[in-house]
Amino acid sequence: MNKQDVRQLATEVLAGIAPEADLATVGAGADLRQALDLDSMDFLNFVIGLAAGSNLPIPEADYPQLYTLQDIESYLSAKK
Amino acid sequence: MTLADVNQAAAGRQLPALGDAAAQTKSRGIDTTQMRQAIAAAMSRSKREIPHYYLSETIDFSVASDWLSSWNAARPPAQRLLSAVLLLKAAALALREVPQLNGFFAQGAFQAGQGIHIGWAITLRGGGLVAPAIHDVDQKSLPELMHAVRDVVQRARLGRLRSSEMTDPTITITNLGDRGVEAVLGVIYPPQVAIVGYGRILARPWVVNGQVTARQLVNASLAADHRASDGHLGGLLLTTIGRALQSPQTL
Repeated sequence: MNKQDVRQLATEVLAGIAPEADLATVGAGADLRQALDLDSMDFLNFVIGLAAGSNLPIPEADYPQLYTLQDIESYLSAKK
Repeated sequence: MTLADVNQAAAGRQLPALGDAAAQTKSRGIDTTQMRQAIAAAMSRSKREIPHYYLSETIDFSVASDWLSSWNAARPPAQRLLSAVLLLKAAALALREVPQLNGFFAQGAFQAGQGIHIGWAITLRGGGLVAPAIHDVDQKSLPELMHAVRDVVQRARLGRLRSSEMTDPTITITNLGDRGVEAVLGVIYPPQVAIVGYGRILARPWVVNGQVTARQLVNASLAADHRASDGHLGGLLLTTIGRALQSPQTL
């Protein structure tokens, strides 16, 4: 995936979890959990969506690499 | 107004007229103004009528945390568990041993609940709170509980809870989760007789076998109705929860 695909995927998944959220107002380096008030269930659902959309297993140990949009872009675009 | 009214507001049902002052503020089928008023009524009744006593215990969650990590490492995201379901199941198993905290205070006496149906407190994004029942928690496996929690949280946020789910809880759990504060002392939902509160799980220094070591700790609290039970019994519930969490494979 290229970074634009990743961004699109993250946006779609988040729209299903926090429909009220406006991702445009969230900075690329902001912790999504705080910015969008995601609890651990929301975040797990986010990971499920990213894993399904990218065909990557996303181990739990890698969750800290998925807290910001820029980290998500790096993580998913680095792994083919 | 009763807890059922709070939960009816969450289920998107109309309450009896609340007067002209009640501006109809809707968020995804949930009337937040109605919900606020219903919560106010239930909590005021609780503090007016129920003589609460409070207990709290620090529980070492490290063994459970390690067990959970290895469970999750071997599974794809959709089959992973959250620490919340371990805390939920541990409380249900402890309630089997201390059934005097599972039920209702009505007509001047404690009435035992039929089954362990735990009201799971869920914060709604638009504001407000509901605690629908997760039924027969003690009899469900951890994956079944994970499914049940996910389902009920999703439907609560969409305003699609069933009215039966709202009146069934025999006790409530409030779990602050991984971004909450360290401890919570709850307010009992009448006519229930107890509420268990879990704070954030966090790494702290702790003494194990005489050595200070970093452990994953969680604060478990109990607020209970002193008309129905005494502190000794309440303490038994918390220590039993703590013991159950030392054997996560048996949850």
